[in-house]
Parts: sequence; structure tokens; C-alpha cells
Amino acid sequence: MAITQAMCTSFKQELMLGTHNFATNGNAFKLALYAEGGGGKSSTTATLGAATTAYTTTGEVANSGSYTAGGGALTKVAPTTSGTTALTDFSDISFTTATITAMGALIYNDTNSDKAVAVLDFTSNKTSTSGTFTVTFPTADASNAIIRIA
Amino acid sequence: MFQINAAEIGNVKVNTSQNGGFSSDQIADMATDKIVYVADNAPPAIQEQARLFADRVRNLLRGYVDLAKKEERATIIQVIEQTGNKELANIIRRL
Repeated sequence: MAITQAMCTSFKQELMLGTHNFATNGNAFKLALYAEGGGGKSSTTATLGAATTAYTTTGEVANSGSYTAGGGALTKVAPTTSGTTALTDFSDISFTTATITAMGALIYNDTNSDKAVAVLDFTSNKTSTSGTFTVTFPTADASNAIIRIA
Repeated sequence: MFQINAAEIGNVKVNTSQNGGFSSDQIADMATDKIVYVADNAPPAIQEQARLFADRVRNLLRGYVDLAKKEERATIIQVIEQTGNKELANIIRRL
């Protein structure tokens, strides 16, 4: 699999280095969409997983509608705790009037050198045709939140 | 020694539309998923009750999404008609 869902290993290290700030007035994070099977810009294929360290244009989907290179800005929800689990969340993100086929996404820190946070695997190609492409984040609780430390 | 047991990421859901925006049903489904979460490990009776509640929420939301679309279109049509473009207003009215 060229796109494998994972929390990036470099991100775990960078958490200990204080590189990432998820507070609402903290760093800016973005979500970029990627294609498999040569579906990306210039027929490139994404290879993303735990070893990904930063945003890359290889395999990123082409500009369409409101989607432009680098993807869209994420709106942060302040980190919180639930029991012994710390978690953070983002608002859902949409790209409109877009023709996109994507197999996964990368969340990265736009403030700090585009450092990678997490790779998301959609498990199958998702396609919008002159329409809306929305990524809905999971329920922000100890079992489902997008980023959790237990 | 302290050990972090797990640093995990959740699963996102992707919704797409073709040749236009989301339908009222899609928006109602997305909103309902945010409002009502049914845990797989909940007792069957609780799951059943939660699903029935989710269905009621979905139906209610669908109605209000339809109403919001209709009212927004009515406002847009009014603004366009005031600029004298009745043909465009009629196109939007027929949506």
C-alpha cells in the first residue's frame, strides 16, 4: 500500500521537542489530499506512512475548485482530556466545486516547516466530480478522536 | 519510568458529491453522525434506542436543511430580481 494510515514517527519525537502547538492560537495545520496509482499531479503516486516527515507534492491531487496545492487550512479545536487520554480535534474540511480522486491525506504543520503529523488512509478512492469533497473528523472522545495520547 | 500506552489517530470519513453540492440527505446524515454516536460495544438495547433517536434527529435535520436551502434561494432570487435579471431568478427558482 502506498498510503498507510499512521501517526508519523517524526511527529511523536517532535511532540517531545515542543515543535507542535495545537492550541487554537497555536500553529497552523493543513490537510493535503493524495492519490494512488499515478493519479496525482504529473502522474505521480503518493507514498505516505509512519516514515513521512513532511508535506510533499509527490502524489498530491491536482488543483481543482477550491483545492490548491498544499491543501486546506484546518480549524483547530483546543486539546482536552477525557479520563487519562489527551486528545485534540479539527473541524471538518470541505473543498467545493472540485473534481478530485483521493486515496488519503496528510495533516501537517504549516507553521513549522510543513512537518508531518499524521497520514490518513481513506481505504478506497473517494471521488467528487464538480462537487464537494468533505473530510469529516471522528467524534472527539477518548476512543475515536483524530489525535489521542493515552 | 513513565510509558505512554498509545498515541493513536482516529478514522476520518469522506463524503463527496457529484455535479453540485451535497443533498439534504447527505447533510442530515453528516450532522446526525456528529450528534449521535453509537458505540459498537454498547448493550444491544442501548444501541437500538440510540439508532431510533438518530433516525428522528436525521428526519428533523433533513426538514430544516431543506427549509434553509429554500429560504436562502428565496433571498437570492429576491436580490437578483431587484437587479432586473428575471431570467436568472427563474433559473434559480426552478432548482
